[in-house]
Amino acid sequence: MTTCAWALCCSPCETPSGVGSQGRDVRCSGSWETHRHPGVSVPRRASRAAALMVDIPRPEPPGGQVRTCRVPSFSGAVPAQLAARDGNTVSPGAMEERPMWEPEAWGSSGVWPAPREGRAGPSLSSVLNELPSAATLRYRGPGVVPWGASEEEEEDGERNIQAITEAAQKELEEALPSRELPWPMQARRAHRQSHARDQVAQGSGSRATLWALRLRRSKEKIKAGLHALQPWAWTLKRIGGQFGAGTESYFSLLRFLLLLNVLASVLQACMTLLPTWLEGPPPGPPGPDASSPCGFYNPNPQGLVTFPTHLFNLLSGEGFLEWSPLFYGFYPPRPHLAVTYLCSVFVIGLLYLLLTLHRSVSGLKQTLLAESGALTSYSHRVFTAWDFGLCGDVHVRLRQRIILYELQVELEEAVVLRQAAVRTLGQQARVWSVRILLNLLVIALLGAAFYGVYWATGAAVGLQEVTLVQQMPLLKLGVDYLPSIFISGVNFLLPPVFKLIAPLEGYTRSHQIVLILLRTVFLRLASLLVLLFSLWNQITCGGQAEAKECKTCGYNYKELPCWETRLGQEMYKLLLFDLLTGVAVMLLIQFPRKLLCGLCPGALGRVVGTQEFQVPDEVLGLIYAQTVVWVGSFFCPLLPLLNTAKFLLLFYLKKFTLFFTCSPASRTFRASTANFFFPLVLLLGLAISAVPVLYSIFLIPPSKLCGPFQGQSSIWASIPESISSLPQAVQNFLFFLGTQAFAVPLLLISSILMAYTLALANSYGRLISELKRQIETEARNKVFLAQRAVALSSANGAL
Amino acid sequence: MGNKQTVFTHEQLEAYQDCTFFTRKEIMRLFYRYQDLAPQLVPLDYTSCPDVKVPYELIGSMPELKDNPFRQRIAQVFSEDGDGHMTLDNFLDMFSVMSEMAPRDLKAYYAFKIYDFNNDGYICAWDLEQTVTKLTRGELSAEEVSLVCEKVLDEADGDHDGRLSLEDFQNMILRAPDFLSTFHIRI
Repeated sequence: MTTCAWALCCSPCETPSGVGSQGRDVRCSGSWETHRHPGVSVPRRASRAAALMVDIPRPEPPGGQVRTCRVPSFSGAVPAQLAARDGNTVSPGAMEERPMWEPEAWGSSGVWPAPREGRAGPSLSSVLNELPSAATLRYRGPGVVPWGASEEEEEDGERNIQAITEAAQKELEEALPSRELPWPMQARRAHRQSHARDQVAQGSGSRATLWALRLRRSKEKIKAGLHALQPWAWTLKRIGGQFGAGTESYFSLLRFLLLLNVLASVLQACMTLLPTWLEGPPPGPPGPDASSPCGFYNPNPQGLVTFPTHLFNLLSGEGFLEWSPLFYGFYPPRPHLAVTYLCSVFVIGLLYLLLTLHRSVSGLKQTLLAESGALTSYSHRVFTAWDFGLCGDVHVRLRQRIILYELQVELEEAVVLRQAAVRTLGQQARVWSVRILLNLLVIALLGAAFYGVYWATGAAVGLQEVTLVQQMPLLKLGVDYLPSIFISGVNFLLPPVFKLIAPLEGYTRSHQIVLILLRTVFLRLASLLVLLFSLWNQITCGGQAEAKECKTCGYNYKELPCWETRLGQEMYKLLLFDLLTGVAVMLLIQFPRKLLCGLCPGALGRVVGTQEFQVPDEVLGLIYAQTVVWVGSFFCPLLPLLNTAKFLLLFYLKKFTLFFTCSPASRTFRASTANFFFPLVLLLGLAISAVPVLYSIFLIPPSKLCGPFQGQSSIWASIPESISSLPQAVQNFLFFLGTQAFAVPLLLISSILMAYTLALANSYGRLISELKRQIETEARNKVFLAQRAVALSSANGAL
Repeated sequence: MGNKQTVFTHEQLEAYQDCTFFTRKEIMRLFYRYQDLAPQLVPLDYTSCPDVKVPYELIGSMPELKDNPFRQRIAQVFSEDGDGHMTLDNFLDMFSVMSEMAPRDLKAYYAFKIYDFNNDGYICAWDLEQTVTKLTRGELSAEEVSLVCEKVLDEADGDHDGRLSLEDFQNMILRAPDFLSTFHIRI
């Protein structure tokens, strides 16, 4: 049912059968009575408008109950049909005033129009449409007919207004490049030519503008070149077209992480591998009989090694891999190598930070502007939910179903919220107690998961001493992988439990999604931290430097003679196991499910077989994998290279899985959330990974038997030593940077800047709400004045 | 394509590059797409600026537009006479605005025109109902449709006149971070 806002027009009007109709006037029957009794069955909006319209004399049609809502056709020139045919009003199709002033709408009653035209002046809508702002909006460039006008109708009034607006537009559009003007092509060409002519006229000798133009062109060429360099652009477009922007953002993130890893591995190779071989080949591993106060370190296996053992060594990073460029222990204690090794960590970390920030900023900018979802959800769903890039009838239909479903859910939620608002105290208490219970359950589950990981890491070291384990390589592999198995298991089992718990808490759907995401992120990152904590416990004997095992060398030399390599091995195992899990899930769960779907008939097959690409879970998996690499790349310098290969493999596997087994997600995951939330989590992962690396660099004494920092008091100590070889002035400057006299003022200045920015943002927010209120007042003033004008002119006409 | 194309003069191609968001290559690719729609109608030589319009039925059968429920409105908005028949200029215009490099304001302007079904310069409740019906394939009940329209007007109508003007629409779009990625046709 059409509910027209302006009370002038038809209230109950048959909805026309769609824009496909050939421009027929759609007759609708309705009652005029609703106007005369504004209190009865008039929508709220119309009554407000009706209150504004009260002054206008509204003549009644003679016994007429027929109105038209004209539907534009596209077989003929639209503007001509829309333009009101009567001479006075130049209203380009304001629907609301047509029922009153359209002569031909009234069928047989030819008597009706004449007295009206003679008496009434311009209507309210025509006056409003003559306002400069409306004319400006319809302006389409020099020499082009404005929106809604027709070629034949060149009223003098319109022409004057056109001249005024053209002059006003000229200054505005000077600033914009031609391509950004909302005009048709010939108007833009004309603008471009006149612009170029102006430029030439102004200064044919002005090199600055010429250079500016050339600079702009070359910048665009560079941007286009960089764009062309990005691989898989067409694949991403296809994915976006079929599965929506959320899925495309996953693959775009994967591509970005791939780029990060490639850059990092190149830098790492330059800064650690090259210097290693520059001063001669590195020495071999220390033998089994090397005697030192910190025990001995014998990474190489004794005697004959069977092939299965070799294979398992490959998977667990031991044996021949342990003394290889893959791990920290291999690198010889040469001073230059030590400095470049350490600097590579910081340089690559800075690179990661800058690139990730660059990626997050654009998404952040857009999302920060967005108001809270509750205020704009309907308008956003109606106007921005439709993905214009979707092709394929199946996907379009699916998207329409999704939008339908979401709108229905929103309407339901509105009802629920209204119910929630009127909850009694008892009901509220019940809801909150349920929430507290469920949160306790979540905390308990998380605690159990973390304890499991902690125990597994500790047990892995202990179990390796058991002779039975040492004799059977397969069991040894299992024990080696115990922490990884626990972490992967926990990450696999708990998120579905969270998804089950969330609806019981009585929050709205969007709130639930945020809660689930937060819990899953916490689970993934914290389980990694627990693993690292457990390892730290073993390495530093629980932080007690005076404990029996850690007294002599500062770390637990008996169990972990080369603790950095051990840490690197753990990260290596996590990476491999993650890849293996991904491939296994794909082969053993997703493909059979899809094949089963083909065999099972009817509904069962459909329910079992429709898998969806769960964007948030997959993205969090990516971020987790990248965090593992960030933690491990100090202890395992070739890890970024391995990760590049892994992500490459992952890209093609996921793409194949997507196209072969998945149907588009039934819950559209908004690309904006993806662009804002996931880079933020990536930054969080980067921050979290910095903690163990920095802690190891500054606080844990390096192994005495392996690595480039052997024999130093701490890994960082090599930097001050190398600085002492620089000239005195540079030394003084660098030492000054480390003192408190530099750090404290820096901190103070940063805090002041932050407080200033916050205050500025606050005042802008207040300014915006103030301006919004002013806009509303001005709109009311405008309508009031137009009403007065109409009333006056009609009064004059009557006289 | 190199420099050997004979379809456009150098100045024409430069003008297209400056007036759209496409590079040379993309413009040529789009021209060949346009030409493929109606090979007998569209000449291969545009140096004399021929006045050729491809009828709406062929435009609407392009794979990028075929299943879009708003394809009629899109073609109407970008065509010269509002009837959906498009010249090459209109065609390039359409895909330039819908490309990913067009700025938000430009897209918002054209989105407003597309959603304004009766071309009166405002999105009134009837336009909204048309939009919602097309979005949900007519499967939402009538009360739900009007409820949704009312809520949209509640949220977005800044000057409380019961319909959305271009400023209201642009203000609302400014706060919609998804708009740039959804109002985008990949070609």
